[in-house]
Amino acid sequence: MNLWLWAAIGMLMCAIPCGIASFRGEAIERLLGLEMMGVVTTMFLLVMAEAEGNPNFYDIGLTMSLLAFGAGIVFTRFLERWL
Amino acid sequence: MKAADIAVAVLLGIAVLTTMISCWALVLFRDKFQRMHYLSVVTTVSTFSLLLAVVVKEGWGQATLKTILVFFVLLLVNAVVTHATARAARVRQYGNWVPTPEEHISGADGDR
Repeated sequence: MNLWLWAAIGMLMCAIPCGIASFRGEAIERLLGLEMMGVVTTMFLLVMAEAEGNPNFYDIGLTMSLLAFGAGIVFTRFLERWL
Repeated sequence: MKAADIAVAVLLGIAVLTTMISCWALVLFRDKFQRMHYLSVVTTVSTFSLLLAVVVKEGWGQATLKTILVFFVLLLVNAVVTHATARAARVRQYGNWVPTPEEHISGADGDR
């Protein structure tokens, strides 16, 4: 195992507090857990792309960062207006 | 072990450690407005450390350019999402996001 894979495991461990945050508190606090998880997942995908040594895998991280933005905005507008 | 490897190890350690601290802060802090601040730590410090680690390891190339792109996307996007979340939280709490007169926020009610 190289250094990047260890960093990827560290990033995966960050999913635990994000998961706890996503299951506790009111709706906005749970949404914060989801938003943090989006950023952590993006970084995990970047680290895994470097660990695999294939630059094409960086596109997955880039896509994830854009999708996490969409998910966050949709949920915030939904929580602000209708729930 | 070369100096570049040590630099990559240190930068990755900073990235993972700040991400871990921020994620646990998201759980441990009680106020939702305090929790929101820790999103920005991850998108600035951690992502920039990761970017530097990729730059040190790869030099200039496709991987570095894509990481720079992700860094700027996260930097810009997180500010928008955090603002939208704070606004939604305030609307849910007070019914409106405009500050109330009792809060005495300078400039908020046109007395700047």
